[in-house]
Amino acid sequence: MKRVFEQIYALTAFSLRFFREVFLPPYEFGEFAAHLENFGSRSFPLVSVIGLLMGLILALQTKPTLARFGAESFLPAMVAISVVRELGPVITALVVAGRVSSGIGAEIGSMKVTEQIDALEVSSIDPYRFLVVPRVMAGTLALPLLTAYADLLGILGAFAVMFVSGGMGWQLFMSSTIASLSVADIVPGIAKTFFFGYIISMVGSYFGFKATGGTEGVGKAATTAVVFASFLILITDFVLVKVGILLFE
Amino acid sequence: MIEIRNLYKTFGSLKVLDGLTLTVKKGETFSVLGKSGTGKSVTLKCIVGLLAADAGDIFVDSVRVDLRDRKSLFSIRQMIGFLFQSGALYDSMSIRDNLIFNLTRHHKVRHNEADEKAVHYLTLVGLGRSVDKMPSELSGGMRKRAALARALVIEPRILLYDEPTTGLDPITSAEISDLIREMHSKFGITGIVVTHDILCAGIVSDRAGVLKDGVLKYTGTLNELAETRDEDVKGFFRNPL
Repeated sequence: MKRVFEQIYALTAFSLRFFREVFLPPYEFGEFAAHLENFGSRSFPLVSVIGLLMGLILALQTKPTLARFGAESFLPAMVAISVVRELGPVITALVVAGRVSSGIGAEIGSMKVTEQIDALEVSSIDPYRFLVVPRVMAGTLALPLLTAYADLLGILGAFAVMFVSGGMGWQLFMSSTIASLSVADIVPGIAKTFFFGYIISMVGSYFGFKATGGTEGVGKAATTAVVFASFLILITDFVLVKVGILLFE
Repeated sequence: MIEIRNLYKTFGSLKVLDGLTLTVKKGETFSVLGKSGTGKSVTLKCIVGLLAADAGDIFVDSVRVDLRDRKSLFSIRQMIGFLFQSGALYDSMSIRDNLIFNLTRHHKVRHNEADEKAVHYLTLVGLGRSVDKMPSELSGGMRKRAALARALVIEPRILLYDEPTTGLDPITSAEISDLIREMHSKFGITGIVVTHDILCAGIVSDRAGVLKDGVLKYTGTLNELAETRDEDVKGFFRNPL
């Protein structure tokens, strides 16, 4: 138990350092752009598939139940609210965590065990500022965009189900979707993904820096990063949902 | 040039350095010999500020190594090149970029000039035809050469070597050792070579010492060390580990 608290304390200290370092020069714009591409552009295909499937599955699962109560016309609203408020942000974050957090953990972990981080330090290049800050900035900014994109595809997926089953046309579906969504649904849904993006990159970086013991340590860093990031995303989601309810309802 | 006074370092209950004292004069190359786990690499890492000593003082060019004083640590690191045991080349960059990166970031050299210097030093270590190769495409010996070029390109006054010949075949080991000797003669660099390769120590060092029980025992020329009556030191020369 003591070790768990020590780990949480160390992760907290490591994470908070970001807010001091992010304002200090030199600013790593090149690194930031490269990681933005890695986090954002390269996650696009995965997020596209997941976003579309999310809407398709949700619509397929709920349509028969709604039809039983003669409430099929509520399907666009139900899908839109579920996807925008909860499923889109959380599923996108979990999927991206699996790809990016493990990648960062493995990459930095490998640099750690092969003394590349020591080499940076000896060259008077602050490894935290060079390796962590650009990754966390990229993650924090890219995930909201990916989530908005996944939300949109989720809604389109639901429309595809409705359209194929002959239940609803494009105009009716969209007007029903737009009418059902309010600022109180969209803002908290997107806002929390900034936190998720931060968690994904930060946890990956932390476990990468903690890696020891060769390739086994690198593998462990990658795995632990995904597990810990997923866990923290769900805990943070719970807290933010509570905060969202207090603020917007 | 490098002065270590009463250096202590423990890891948990393991005492690694127990009052180590060493002075390396300007232009001299000193080899620290010793079995694995005796604290040779720890000593180097303390000199360059990668590890904090529990007690004791280290002076590099009369500047005290103090991890809390980032400015003085930066000025110390400006004059030190470090050859890591694994080479520690940045594996996301070509070897040319490995050298340019250090120059442009650390020494504020313009990119064109840095590029010229990088090619020059890579040619000097025999890698003139491989400048655009990635570290993963190089053999062990080539990687050590590239790492040596990266350490040399900043034109350091001091070079620290952590096991420069570990993992290499005897011929490549001798080549790397000759190269180190040549560079030191050419540029008048002060060096500390941590090794358990007695042949490498024989080629590169002016003086050597055996690290045992956390202190340097028996310092002198390699010939003087070989003639000592101490069984541990003699054993070391008989069966270099």
